[in-house]
Amino acid sequence: MTAATTTPTVEEWVRSFTDASDRDPEIQAHGKYFTCGYLLDMADHHFVVRMTSGKVAELAIDPGPLDVGYQFAIRAGAETWRGFGTEVPAPMFHGIWAATFRRDMKLEGDVLVLMQNLRCITRQIELLRTVGVPV
Amino acid sequence: MPRISPVTGHYVTVDVDDVQYKVFYLENGTGQPLLCQHTAGCHNHQWRGLLEDEEITADHRVIAYDLPRHGKSDPPENTEWWKEEYQLTAEHYTKFIVALCDELELEQPIFMGSSFGGNVALQLALRYPERFRAVIPVEAADYSPGFYLDWWQHPHANAAQVCASGVWDLMAPQSPEADRWKTWFYYSQGSEAFKGDLYFYSVDHDLRDKLDQIDGDRCPVVMLTGTYDYLTTPEDGRRTAGQIRNGEFIEMEDIGHFPMSENHEVFRRYLLQALDRIGSRAGAQA
Repeated sequence: MTAATTTPTVEEWVRSFTDASDRDPEIQAHGKYFTCGYLLDMADHHFVVRMTSGKVAELAIDPGPLDVGYQFAIRAGAETWRGFGTEVPAPMFHGIWAATFRRDMKLEGDVLVLMQNLRCITRQIELLRTVGVPV
Repeated sequence: MPRISPVTGHYVTVDVDDVQYKVFYLENGTGQPLLCQHTAGCHNHQWRGLLEDEEITADHRVIAYDLPRHGKSDPPENTEWWKEEYQLTAEHYTKFIVALCDELELEQPIFMGSSFGGNVALQLALRYPERFRAVIPVEAADYSPGFYLDWWQHPHANAAQVCASGVWDLMAPQSPEADRWKTWFYYSQGSEAFKGDLYFYSVDHDLRDKLDQIDGDRCPVVMLTGTYDYLTTPEDGRRTAGQIRNGEFIEMEDIGHFPMSENHEVFRRYLLQALDRIGSRAGAQA
C-alpha cells in the first residue's frame, strides 16, 4: 500500500483505516488487550475509534457532543494531521510525542489509558502514513 | 570457522565517593580511546555498529560501558540502593566517568555520549576539561526539560512498553526498521533506571548560564544532532555549540535521537567528520 496522493473522503478513510488496523500484523500480534476508545480530533473532522481486543469495533464519524464516549483525545490542526498522512513524515510530524512537544498536538483526557495502550496506538497512528488523512 | 565478533566484554570495579560499582564494558580496536555512553534507560548495545566498525576501530579503541543500574552493570555493590529513589546527578555522573577513566588507565580519551550521555559530555567539558582530548555530545543541549515523567514508572501501565514506545518517535522514519526495533527492545529492559536518569537529563542538567565557562580550546566540543530529534532539536544544538568557545555543530539529516543505534550507517558519516575535526584519525591533522 502506498501513501494516499489525494485526500480520501471520510467514508473511504474510515474503511481503509479500519481495514489497515484489523489486518496489521503488529496490532494483531500484540493487541489482545487493546481495548479502549479515543477521539481523533482533526479540526475539520473528528472521529471516535473504539477498539476491542485489537479490532476496530466502531469508528464514529463526526459524532455529536454526547453521542459517543471515549477515554482520551488526540487533537491537532488539519495541517499537522496532513503531515502525519504522508509516507515519510517530515520531522515533528512523525509521531504523537514529537507533535505534542513541537507542534500543536494535544493529548487530553485519561492519558493513563493512552499509556496502557501506547504500543498499539503508536502503530495505529503510523498507519496514517499509508492510508492518509481525510482532512 | 566460528563467527566470533572481535568485540570483547569485561568487568571493572570502580569506586566513586563511597560507592562501589562493578562495571561492564565492551571494547574493540586500538589507538585513541573513544569512550561511549549510551542513552538514558538503555545499555551499551546501542553502540553495536560502532564497536564493529573497522574503519574507526583501526585507530580508535572504542569502549562502550553500561552505566551502573543499566545492562550488565549492577546497582551499587555496597549500599542498600533499594531503599532510596534513584536520581542521577551531574556531580556523581561526571565523577563516575572520570573514575572509570582512571580505573581503565585511559590517557586523554575522547568522550562521546548521546542524549543524557551528550549532556554529560558538556558537563565533562565544563568540569574536567584537562581529562579529555575532546568530547562529542550527540543529541545534547544546554538544557533539556520535559522528560522527567511519572509515566515511565506508573504502576498501572506496562512500564517496559511505555518506555520503549514512549521513545519510538525519537527515531527517524528513514532509519532501518530492524534497528529501530532493536532500540525499542533495549528500552523495554530499562524502565527502573530510565526515570532516575532523566532526573539528570531534564532537571539537574542546566548549563544555560555556564556555556561560556566551557573552554573549547582546552577540550574541543563537536556536537551532533539529528533532524528528527524532538527533545533537543538541531536549533538547540546549534545554539548550545554557538555559546561554547570554538564549539562546533554538525546537523545530521534524516536521523533521530538514538543515531548510533537506529542507523549506524548514516551516523558514522557524521562521526567521521567529527573525528576529522578533532584530528584523531590516522593521517588527520589536529
